[in-house]
Formats: sequence, C-alpha cells, structure tokens
Amino acid sequence: MAMRILLVVFVAVILVACGSGKKPDEKAFLESLDSAKNLGPTIDQEVINSVLQQIPSPLEISVLLKESGTKYDQALLNSPDNLSTYNSNYKKALNLGIYGTDLGYTNIFEQNQDGIKYLAAIKSLADGLNIGQFFDIETIGRLVSNSKNLDSLLLITTQNFNSINAYLQNQGRANLSVLLLSGGWVEAMHITCQVATKDSKNKQLRETIGEQKIILEQIVLLLSFYKDSDENMASLLKDMDTLKGAFDKINIIYTYKESTMQVIDGVAVIKDNSTTTIQITEEDVANIKALTNTIRNKIIG
Amino acid sequence: MKKIILLFSFLSVAGVTSSKLIGQCDPENFSNTCIPKLSTGFNFLKSYKIDGEGGAKEKVEYSYVFTKGTQYMINICATGTATDGIVVSLFDSGRNKVASSKFNGQFLGAIAYPCNATGIYYIQYTFDGSTAKCGGSALGFKR
Repeated sequence: MAMRILLVVFVAVILVACGSGKKPDEKAFLESLDSAKNLGPTIDQEVINSVLQQIPSPLEISVLLKESGTKYDQALLNSPDNLSTYNSNYKKALNLGIYGTDLGYTNIFEQNQDGIKYLAAIKSLADGLNIGQFFDIETIGRLVSNSKNLDSLLLITTQNFNSINAYLQNQGRANLSVLLLSGGWVEAMHITCQVATKDSKNKQLRETIGEQKIILEQIVLLLSFYKDSDENMASLLKDMDTLKGAFDKINIIYTYKESTMQVIDGVAVIKDNSTTTIQITEEDVANIKALTNTIRNKIIG
Repeated sequence: MKKIILLFSFLSVAGVTSSKLIGQCDPENFSNTCIPKLSTGFNFLKSYKIDGEGGAKEKVEYSYVFTKGTQYMINICATGTATDGIVVSLFDSGRNKVASSKFNGQFLGAIAYPCNATGIYYIQYTFDGSTAKCGGSALGFKR
C-alpha cells in the first residue's frame, strides 16, 4: 500500500515539476508558428532583444511634427489600399510598421476617419502574421471615434505594438520584430524628410533627421544579424547601408557636463547640462530624403 | 517506515508546488500599475519589468534612445506605497550617471529628465535595502 501511495505521489511530483503549464491548444498554436520561423541568426537572442528595445517610438516624431506647427498631410502616408499587395511575411511585417507609424500620425493630428482605415489595415496584416490577437479592434475603434479619447487611444495602440514585439521576441520570431521596427522608422523618416524639405528653414526638423543616425546604426546592426539567414533582410540591409553612408557625413558632437537635480512633488527633476550639436546641411537632408524614398518605395510597392 | 515515506512524499509535493508561489515576482503587474501613474501630459512609451530574481541579480538594465528637446519620465512601482528600495539611475552612452531616483538618502518614485543631448541611455534599476527585489516601471515622454 505504501509503495502504491509513493508511486502516485512520485508521478504527481514529476508531473508538477516537468509541466510546462501550457494548455494543449496553446502548445499546438505555438508549434504551428514554427513554420513561420526562419533559420534565425547565430547571435544570442538576448542581444537582439536588447538592441530592439532601444529603438524609439515613431510617435515621438509625430508629436514633434505637430508641435512644430506642421499641418496634417494624408498624401505623405502609405495608402491603406495597398494592403492587398502585401502577401509575404517580410512585406507584411515591414508594412505593419509603416501603417503603425501612419496610425500614430493620424492619431496625433486627430484625423479619426483616416485612423480607422489604418487600424483596419493593421489588424489585417497582424492577423496575417498570427499576431492579430493583440489588437482589440472594438475598443480601439471606439476610442478612435471620439477625439476626447486621444490619450487612451495613444496608450492602447502603444501597448498593442509593445505586446506584439514582446510576443515575437519570446516566440523566436524577432526577425519580424526587426522588420516591424524598421518599417516604422523608414516611414517616420520619410514623413520628416518631406516636411523638412518644405520647411527648409526649420532647424529643429533638420536636426531631428541628423539625430536618426544613432537609430539607423542600431537598425543596420539588427539587420546584419540576419544577413546570412534571410535574403530579404540581407537586401534591406544593403539599402540601409547605403543610407547609412549618407548619414556618415553628419557629425553629432556630444559634450558631457554633470547634471543637477531638485525634488519637486516627490519627483527627481533633472537639469541636463550635457549637449549635442548636430552638424547637417540642406544637401545632406536632400540626399537622405532621396535614399529614404527609394527604400520606402521598395517596401510599399 | 511507512510514515517516513509518506512524510517524504508530502514534503516533495509541497516543496515543488510552493517553490512556484513563494518568492514569485510578478513585475508585469507592477509595470502595468505604473503606466497610469505617469504624470499628466506624458505619453506612454515602454514598461519595464524589474525582477531581481530573489537577490540573484544586483541590477536590471534596459536602454533607449533619448532625443534632445524631449522630456522623459521614468517611475517605479513596487510592493507597498514606496519604492521598496528600488532605485532607477540613468546613464549616458559614455556611462556617465545623469540622473538617479535616490537623492540625499531619499527614495523617490520617479525621475523627470528633460533631455538635452540625443543618444543611447541606459536605464538601470538597483536594489538598495529592497525586501522583495521586485517591481515595475514605465517610461513616458512629452515635448
């Protein structure tokens, strides 16, 4: 009897200790995603994830554009009608990033009707990549329909994209995350360059373009991890490298000076005494604009 | 003998199951709590998990590209009302410390950083007398 009890207990211990905690359906779903995996890079996944998390949100640029007095221009964006042409995972992931930036832009400028179109396109691409579950289309749709909900809308869309990136990285599909962020960055660059060309005396916009040198270096690094395992990403890397060549002419001079701080309402408020000076010419902007446009056309075409 | 076997078996099951519960850190819960606590006007950017793995980790670090002319806020949420000894420090790309939430021995719940120099910054969380070594954090921005 004692042996029988011991056996039952032993089996229970083994089951608890070895159980993955995943339900059969979830396991089957995760296995089905394996077909979407590429051979993957040889570099440690944690290194890729740590570089990925550095890439800033394109929303920051949209806010800058609005606050610099720029008017909303739908013509700058990728039409949601192009959706049907994106059939490969490569194109879907890149254009998910592009539409994500476009959605952020329409949200910031409170262009709700356009926002709804981009939302539908995003949902469709996300579904195609098996990540549609992160978009609660009903909630977002409700928020889009009322401009008073702007803060909630920005919050929920940012959270959705963060969840997608985290999920892709956990699933060993960081290659799609790299493409998503690359697409989002290219679109933000495209919009900024177009606006900066029309407003050539706007020093802040010119400097914003110059600052993107830091982010492009990270994107090039990320793409380089996949150059031997994914020919599409290798091709994109080649184009991004050409763009990086144009950025290499820009100087970013950093001067460190110790910061000071004071406590206001329980928050440590810092006074940053360091500075960066961006040396970029109108010619550099024109060159970067042309190269960005070429890359974008390949992505959205 | 029978009693010893039964006791051993009971302790095995209890040990395995309780190890999943005792000391379990749920940083996602804390970071989700932190998002609405960002001050008014700040747009949410990222949430960060702070899991010291029961003391196995001395620090948890993330990085992000901060942009000149943008103000960033990083807050901390942990067990209880205070920060439970969790300190957030900000370092520039040259690893110079530019901000900390510990000031004159006081643990502050957030730092506001009006960035004047674009670059990669390291957001580092350390545990200074922390009991749970577990928390969450959110990063927001405004122009």
